[in-house]
Amino acid sequence: MKKLLTVFLFAYLFKLTAWGQPAPAAPLKNAPAKLPRAADGKPDLTGIWQAFGVALFGETGELRPGEGTKSVWGPPVGPAPYRADLAAKVKALASDDRLNPQVQCKMAGVPRITGSVVPFEIIQTPKKIAILYESNHTFRIIPIDKPHPTDMYPAYMGDSVGRWEGDTFVVDVTSFNDVTWLPGPGHFHSEDLHVTERYTLQPDNTIYYEAIMEDPKVLTKPWSYRLILRHTPRDERIMETDCAENNQDPQHIIPAPVP
Amino acid sequence: MRHILLLSLLLSSAGLRLSAHHSFAAEYDGLKPVTVTGTVAQLDWRNPHAYIYLDVKNESGAVKSVIVEGHPPNILRRTGWGKDIIKVGESITVEGWASKDGSNRMAGRQVTLPGGNKLYWGPPSQ
Repeated sequence: MKKLLTVFLFAYLFKLTAWGQPAPAAPLKNAPAKLPRAADGKPDLTGIWQAFGVALFGETGELRPGEGTKSVWGPPVGPAPYRADLAAKVKALASDDRLNPQVQCKMAGVPRITGSVVPFEIIQTPKKIAILYESNHTFRIIPIDKPHPTDMYPAYMGDSVGRWEGDTFVVDVTSFNDVTWLPGPGHFHSEDLHVTERYTLQPDNTIYYEAIMEDPKVLTKPWSYRLILRHTPRDERIMETDCAENNQDPQHIIPAPVP
Repeated sequence: MRHILLLSLLLSSAGLRLSAHHSFAAEYDGLKPVTVTGTVAQLDWRNPHAYIYLDVKNESGAVKSVIVEGHPPNILRRTGWGKDIIKVGESITVEGWASKDGSNRMAGRQVTLPGGNKLYWGPPSQ
């Protein structure tokens, strides 16, 4: 009987972690000692990174030896757990891409920007980590072991503070405006959005990225977004983009029927 | 080819993980492939999309302008393009898909350069 209870307990725990809930700490494939480290001993996140995308590998689909073809990690993530009474709003927004904040050339927000098809650069110091995104020339400066300011104002990219939990860099992001979307079509959020990002460097020099999104006004439970970030294959520089300079799209988009 | 297939598979399974400027289906019809040959009238190397303005002659000799949407310049630079790869007055062939709004715009996928080389200009129809 005791054995049976243990089996049920394990099954229950597995179910809790397998569907959109915060995953356990990213598994390291080898001994952490093999990680590239900064002078202060922390894993070295410095460099140009990108989630899997066209610009990273080129259109020939080139892959570097040893990196495999995986683009996500962890247990499967279910659909965004929107409140039932908001499902129609999500569908309506998703059906008309003119309403997509990125079509309107707005900053992509967190964590959507991490999945952009253009790269970003991490600059790491013991006291601050800066992320310079090519997407819309956006940046975040993340103080380490500091509290959020008390006079925060709603912002596209929110306000970020970071801390090291072992070898994982954890970023707490709050003070969002309600203009950006979460990953996925029509995935609006409220100003109560709270994002916890986890950047875990792997021995193969990739980063397992997880963003846990909580927004009690629109989501019924936390939702996860996971990516594998890779260094770009060539010596890249973050380039300038100004999305609004010649944005012809909104006037040519044909809305789809709302399902 | 194997690599292209692999890339297509990975991209199609990418779903909401990747975030581009707009969805392909919002403007273009992936079921209406188009191939045009014409003379480059203008190359607009700007964000969020680069455009080729192509003068295309029909059977009666009348010239129609076709606007070919592509990747933004930063992605084009990383996939082998430069501003001088095609020049005004040169003849090129573009494969892609028609716009949904019935205008003279198209989504360009692949360009055949004057020397016969092929380069991708825009994303697949997904």
